[in-house]
Amino acid sequence: MPLLEVNNLKKTYTTRFGGTPVQALSNVTFSVEQGEYTAIMGESGSGKTTLLNIIASIDRPTSGEVLLDSKNTVSISEKEISAFRRDNLGFVFQDFNLLDTFSIQDNIFLPLVLAKKSYEEMNARLQPIAKRLGINGILAKFPYEVSGGEKQRTAVARALITNPKLILADEPTGSLDSRASSGLLQLFSEINGDGQTILMVTHSIKAASHAQRVLFIKDGEVYHQLYKASHTKEEMYLKISDTLTMIATGGARNE
Amino acid sequence: MNKLFFPKIAAGNIKKNTKMILPYMIASICTIMMFYNMRFLAVAKLIGSESESLRVLLGLGCYVIGIFSVIFLFYTNSFLIKQRKKEFGLLNILGMEKKHIALVMFFETLYTSLISLAAGILGGILISKLILMLLLRAVSFDVAFGFEIPVKAILTTLALFGGIFMINLVHNIFAVHLAKPVELLKGGQQGEKEPKTKWIMTVIGMISLGAGYFIALTTESPLAALNSFFIAVLLVIVGTYCLFTAGSIAALKVFRKFKKFYYQPKHFISVSGMIYRMKQNAAGLANICILATIVIVVLSTTISIYVGIEDVLRNRYPSNIIVSGQEITDEQANQLDAVILKQTTEAGMSVSNETRFRSTTVAVLQDKAWFKADALTYSSSSIALLHFIPEEDYSRMSDKPISLSDKEVLLYTANGDIPGDIVDFNGLEFAVRERLGSLTANSVIPSDLIHNYYIVVKDKETVNKIGAALNDGQWEEAELAYYYGFDVDGSREAQQLLIPSLQQAMTDSGINSTAEGAEVSRDSIYTLYGGLFFLGLFLGVLFIMATVLIIYYKQIAEGYDDKERFEIMQKVGMSHQEVKKSIHSQVLTVFFLPLGTAVIHLAFAFPVITKMLAVLNLTNVKLFAVCAGITILVFALFYTIVYTLTARTYYKIVSPQ
Repeated sequence: MPLLEVNNLKKTYTTRFGGTPVQALSNVTFSVEQGEYTAIMGESGSGKTTLLNIIASIDRPTSGEVLLDSKNTVSISEKEISAFRRDNLGFVFQDFNLLDTFSIQDNIFLPLVLAKKSYEEMNARLQPIAKRLGINGILAKFPYEVSGGEKQRTAVARALITNPKLILADEPTGSLDSRASSGLLQLFSEINGDGQTILMVTHSIKAASHAQRVLFIKDGEVYHQLYKASHTKEEMYLKISDTLTMIATGGARNE
Repeated sequence: MNKLFFPKIAAGNIKKNTKMILPYMIASICTIMMFYNMRFLAVAKLIGSESESLRVLLGLGCYVIGIFSVIFLFYTNSFLIKQRKKEFGLLNILGMEKKHIALVMFFETLYTSLISLAAGILGGILISKLILMLLLRAVSFDVAFGFEIPVKAILTTLALFGGIFMINLVHNIFAVHLAKPVELLKGGQQGEKEPKTKWIMTVIGMISLGAGYFIALTTESPLAALNSFFIAVLLVIVGTYCLFTAGSIAALKVFRKFKKFYYQPKHFISVSGMIYRMKQNAAGLANICILATIVIVVLSTTISIYVGIEDVLRNRYPSNIIVSGQEITDEQANQLDAVILKQTTEAGMSVSNETRFRSTTVAVLQDKAWFKADALTYSSSSIALLHFIPEEDYSRMSDKPISLSDKEVLLYTANGDIPGDIVDFNGLEFAVRERLGSLTANSVIPSDLIHNYYIVVKDKETVNKIGAALNDGQWEEAELAYYYGFDVDGSREAQQLLIPSLQQAMTDSGINSTAEGAEVSRDSIYTLYGGLFFLGLFLGVLFIMATVLIIYYKQIAEGYDDKERFEIMQKVGMSHQEVKKSIHSQVLTVFFLPLGTAVIHLAFAFPVITKMLAVLNLTNVKLFAVCAGITILVFALFYTIVYTLTARTYYKIVSPQ
């Protein structure tokens, strides 16, 4: 029984004044097992962010279904969706999405506060995570006072603190320098090693090479997938690179 | 490049930014309408030349409105340009030179100012007749017929507002010119630091606000109130600024310390949000608070003075007609009585509610029950006036025969307090036989601002003995003063005729005395107080508009800053409902904090204001309370309407879908 099932997802955008409809996703089907670390790759405009938004229940598909733990997230009512998102999903975004009005600690607490947890419980959950992510020294600081890498680790802590079933990461290394990127990817691998399921959208080959499986999306469809299996990161890097080249040149021929 | 290129871009920009530009244009149009009308009234021929004081008042109004318009429109404009920097930055990056941007701005200003000026002056002319009638009604002049459009007023309006728009344009060009493209693109959004807690300022604010309130509450004498009110106002203004800027942040940070309170969804988001909001807006909110206080005070006082004109007249003239004279012998008093009787009979009026007595008035310093005449300091609250009335006169007035001994007095306290049963006139002691509830059987004694005591003594000799004692022997025996107040049953016009003829007859008989009456003063009082009332109303409306618009812009500006914040919160699991609730509570706080504080200020200022109104002869505290209440309600109503509109616009900006 997979943790996440995405079946025949379709998303068409129509502009307000009835212009030509744009098909962002034409037919996407895949699944993610419990404890899996999956990367989704694709060029700009391939529909990967739309896909992530639908999985995250921020956006709704035109048709198709998303099953998280066999619960169809598409049919959850507007009222319950926020609580559902808060309890089951953790987010890591490219631009961190930290609130500048909160200290690092309060940023991490945010989803728990929204879930009306007591301060004692929040604090008890925070300590091990902060220690593990190496941010316990900066908890009292504010986002503008810390580095990009620290901001992203804060975001990861915020995603982890609710013990989510699935962590969704949207270009998590996009705003980081190479050192911070390596650190973050290392962290993701460790978290995944602890059993955390991760779904990451990226177009960084390096980031994708850390994943156990890479899905390639092209023109709104899953075009290809690669399994890391026993390959090393370096081998994986080459394989992904080759696949991308193949997709790009193959695509050019079709156009 | 096409000649129409820049005008077209400018027109497009205006259309795109309706949300920002429209309120500015509406504000411009309203201010222009008001200024034109004030100017129109100041030069209108229809008002006639009979009232110079009204014209002076209106001329003054023009200056106040003019100065206010400059500040107000400049302030609003600077808001606008701050929000639009990004847009101009984009034009700059897309290859427009700064001089081209200046050209676009020029056309934008041209369009908006032409529309505003045209609409404002046209609207002003349309409502001018209405405004004129309102004014004439307020000062109870006869309504004049005809319609006039003074070119002078139009020209001044054009010159003033043309000037204001030009200044704004120059300011905008400089603002954009001095900025680098990157800064333009970033616009208002820069990394925000958390504000520091300024404890010293908080303490200063609390102390000065407390001191201001204390002065306002403890000032006793109305004359002292004039001085101390000014100091109290300054202290309260300082206090308001300090507490809004430093105090609010200090308080919010203290809230943050209480973990149980702070880590609740509602408080968590609003407390941290408010810390930043207050950092950016504290000074503006303090301004709004002070402006709102001014509006409420100005409106409620002018309205209550105007509504209370009859009270004022009654206070100033307890009787329809008052005849009074100094050093009147008994024989002269009888003569005066005869003259009055003759004049009123000739005019066919009967006299009623008579108050007639002889007295001597001595200004003294009071210390409880001890009195002494002294070199007087007017700010002192221990000044009192003692009116000595011979027993004979009191008996006649009250229809109560009494016989006092040499060492006894009757005491009527019009205003003030004398403790105990003994009064001490600088060493000369008397027993208070009775405290009187009223002095006369059927009429009123004018109440005054300072302490007033009416003391009935045995006879004229006793009066002189006391006079000598109070003045340490420096006392010349003199005849008593004579006061004769009475009501007549004649019409307004008849009374207006009677008083001068009475005065003439009294002068003819060679007695040094005056006759005055409410009806003669009524017109001039109406002109003055009516003019003040009108001006107060006019300025009040203008201030309300300014307050409300400033707050609208503040909220919109914040909406763009908050957009991202709320997007993040929704991603992290805050529901639409929660976002909406949180927005409402924060917008509500920002909106009603200044108004709430203004009402508190007014509550503390209330005693002082009533005392100052007493200087203007308005002693009807209830009337003032009602006027203040109504003013606050009307203000709050306007406020609520704008709040609803603002909250809606704000929500549209912030809400993602």
